[in-house]
Amino acid sequence: MIDRDLLGRPVTATESQLFEIYAELKGLAGRVDLPPCAERNVKKALACMWQVVNDLDLEFEQLYDLGV
Amino acid sequence: MVNPSEYWNPKNETMPREELRALQHVKLKRLCEWAYAKCEFHRRRWEAAGFHPDQLRTLDDLRRIPFMTRAEWMDAQAEAPPFGPLLAVPPASAIRYHTTSGTTGRTPLRVLDGAKDWEWIAEMWGYGLWGFGLRPHDIVLFAFSYGTFIGFWGAHYACEKIGCLVLSTGSATTESRVKSLLDMGVTTVCSTPTYALRMWQAAAEMGIDLARHTAVNKVIVSGEPAGSIPAVKRQLETAWGAKVGDTAGMTEIGSIMVFECSRQPGGTHIIEDHFIEETLEYDGDRVVPYGERAERVVTSFGRGFIPLIRYRTNDLVVKIPYTSCDCGRTGDLYQGGIQGRWDDMKLVRGTNIYPRAVESIVRECAAVDEFQILLTREGVTDEICILVELKPGREEHWDTLSRRLHVDLADAHEGLRFKVEQAAANVLPRFELKAKRLVDKRPAADYST
Repeated sequence: MIDRDLLGRPVTATESQLFEIYAELKGLAGRVDLPPCAERNVKKALACMWQVVNDLDLEFEQLYDLGV
Repeated sequence: MVNPSEYWNPKNETMPREELRALQHVKLKRLCEWAYAKCEFHRRRWEAAGFHPDQLRTLDDLRRIPFMTRAEWMDAQAEAPPFGPLLAVPPASAIRYHTTSGTTGRTPLRVLDGAKDWEWIAEMWGYGLWGFGLRPHDIVLFAFSYGTFIGFWGAHYACEKIGCLVLSTGSATTESRVKSLLDMGVTTVCSTPTYALRMWQAAAEMGIDLARHTAVNKVIVSGEPAGSIPAVKRQLETAWGAKVGDTAGMTEIGSIMVFECSRQPGGTHIIEDHFIEETLEYDGDRVVPYGERAERVVTSFGRGFIPLIRYRTNDLVVKIPYTSCDCGRTGDLYQGGIQGRWDDMKLVRGTNIYPRAVESIVRECAAVDEFQILLTREGVTDEICILVELKPGREEHWDTLSRRLHVDLADAHEGLRFKVEQAAANVLPRFELKAKRLVDKRPAADYST
């Protein structure tokens, strides 16, 4: 959960929901017990969600440690 | 239902400029911390210059960061091929390898991208393509070779992301591409300006009038300054019966950093939530005010694999404020797009010659099919000659056209005398990528005696 964006502005309910999906995917991308079909598609989805949180100023970080 | 937003990212594209600067500051600090921790190339140079990311207390502290140049990049590649100490991440984490086009004859720069970088590259094109009016119902033909040159790769994936139907005509002939326009009901074409002219010529030879016989209503151009030259744009818009939108990017970024919005304000908007675009005096560090010619210096927030921070591009630009366009975006613009390269400038008998300025005059003549700027030395005198190929059937216009070019070129170049000569049909080279229409045959200066 976040309630502020990178500039300290309050986030909307939708933005908060999008961020939660991103955080969920990050958690899944770090797991080593997923089958390839899940692991690779989770990483691909995370690469897409990174664009959303970056575009909406919710997060700006690197994900290479997660293979993304 | 199609999303009604005029903007790809309404939140940031219309953000007040003070907030935009604050956002750039946050991203710059994080990017520099990343680069300092992970990239030997930057850390080494920054330590030598006495810079540390902790010094970035405000956005203006950006000026403490040493510039990065192409020469340094190439030296670093040569130091430890193939990538040098520029990588912040082991190569095994990459999913894409690309290079600069190599049209200058220099060793190409090599770049790698991870999964999120590659998505980001398409994302930047999303700003531009959506901003020019592409929507899911569009059918987009890419006249692009799909090699290691990054070119329109990002645009291709952006179109998929938008939901368009994408036609990738990698190895197709020009005639086959023209045929696809008709067969598939293509609405949008992505190509260089030069190649868009070439397709028009080929279509005419096939008896096809692109403006009347195809459904194309948008031509997205990139890769050459010509996309914002009014005469070229007018010619293309008439030939295709379509709006022509200019974009510009570079391999060092991987994507576009500017695009023309659907209002076509005579310039290209900078995507300022993803880039810092400084406009400085050429090869210097003085900030150049709005409306004056400057060199672009770019910092990109997108590619963490090879962080690009304060990179001197050599691009010649004129920045104008966002208020120059009424689309509501708060990103400043480059008037006339990227106007050329500072090192494209040639000196002929004391007068500066920019290929783009010559092209903007030559293309005002609708009878011109292709042209070349030829520089020679006769005795001790430099000569400049414009070789012109006329469109088929337009030969009777030659006398009028050559007289007009003599006058207009001289008027625009402090009275400099230009030779204007007619070239035979299909003698001058044609280009698909990054046209090189200036040939300098003058001998290099010899100081050995």
